[in-house]
Amino acid sequence: MASEFELSRNITIGQYVPTGSYIHRLDPRIKLLVFTILVLAIALNTSYLGNALGLLLSIYLFWASKIPISYGLSGIKPAIPFIIILAVLQLIFQGNVFSGGTLFFEYGFILITSESIRLVIVSAVRFVEIILLSSVLTLSTSTTELTHAIQSLLSPLKKIKFPVHELSLIITIAIRFVPTFAIEMEKMMKAQASRGADFGSGEWWRIIQRTKDMLPIIIPLFNIALSRAEDLILAMESRCYTPGNDRSAYSVYKALGRDYLVLFIGLLLSFLLFFYPFPY
Amino acid sequence: MKGSLTVRNIVIAGVLGAVAILLGVTRLGYIPVPTAAGNATIMHIPAIIGGIMQGPIVGAIVGIIFGVSSFLNATVPLFKDPLVAILPRLFIGVVAWLVYVGIRRKSEYLAIGTAAFLGTLTNTVLVLTMAVVRGYMGAEVAWTVAITSGIPEAVVGTIVTLAVVLAWKQIGKGKKSRISEDL
Repeated sequence: MASEFELSRNITIGQYVPTGSYIHRLDPRIKLLVFTILVLAIALNTSYLGNALGLLLSIYLFWASKIPISYGLSGIKPAIPFIIILAVLQLIFQGNVFSGGTLFFEYGFILITSESIRLVIVSAVRFVEIILLSSVLTLSTSTTELTHAIQSLLSPLKKIKFPVHELSLIITIAIRFVPTFAIEMEKMMKAQASRGADFGSGEWWRIIQRTKDMLPIIIPLFNIALSRAEDLILAMESRCYTPGNDRSAYSVYKALGRDYLVLFIGLLLSFLLFFYPFPY
Repeated sequence: MKGSLTVRNIVIAGVLGAVAILLGVTRLGYIPVPTAAGNATIMHIPAIIGGIMQGPIVGAIVGIIFGVSSFLNATVPLFKDPLVAILPRLFIGVVAWLVYVGIRRKSEYLAIGTAAFLGTLTNTVLVLTMAVVRGYMGAEVAWTVAITSGIPEAVVGTIVTLAVVLAWKQIGKGKKSRISEDL
């Protein structure tokens, strides 16, 4: 029962695990670039072999960054029932859309083909890969490093008066506050449950009931978020933060040979996932 | 200075973006409705609130954050297409802001409620239009999805937005900082 409320344990976004590994020491700009391209490549790959490669790669990256893989797996755990329900629905309803390949089963409107099975398996595996990859990135990069990376990768856009610094600050605030709000939400759920509220125990098909159950969590969540925002605004303004000013950075990054090597390997793998016609 | 990126706009956009991401990763933001689109969602609500409270730019930015996080979290091929997952979400906050500003003079309650309702419809209609245009579903399937998940989304969206924005306006006008408006 208590495990239902442990949201913060299952959210890996915004946490940082300092192990000082090779991956931690990479130039954050290059790391962000390589991970973004890899995630895109995986998101667009629909073959079994390609996704198996992606899965191996994401597990290898966990090993290489010396972060216990349980951190990554805990991000997947809450989604498992969801993935299963979705897989069944896809299997039943998507057969008509993805009707190519061999026909295995047909009954009325239910159509199961090798293509719809591929869709179900590949989308489940892909989900796991993307969670693992994005966990490695956020667990091995502090939020400050991530902000600097986003800012310097977007800096060419400054030429067209695009507010690069402001935008990267928004992204950082968003990522930074996810675990904080998860902890707040956990507190609220426990507080409400101890007063007799009932979460998530209704059957999943009773949609209206389940939605009603969520309202006493979601509305206070917004209010807590906004009052945190007020505190942060006050803190930033009292330190005379002015958006749009030119500012220098405390740490300046310089990409080394090993960073370029990683960039090269990452690009190579992404090209492979994008363009190589995997036989299966 | 409703339009430009002030400290207030930056922080509110970031914080509401965090709520959108959190609703996505904890799956609290999904209402499981068995349709071709998989789920109804309430993750667009931060974008609407951002639009109503801080104007179109904040609304659009929160919309982008919601779009990107739904793109990364997606388990169905439909939302693995950035044109379906990200592009339509830009307009949620903008539409909510336009409606709110248009009706605000008549009645604050009516304005917030209508803005939330139409903001949600913007999300449903644009996403489904893009889905049909990009060939992920036929027009008939899209209509079923619009009715089965669009209506609960709009109802929940209106209730939550009204509750949050009204509560916020009542608690000592919400704002702690006295200089935000001057900066």
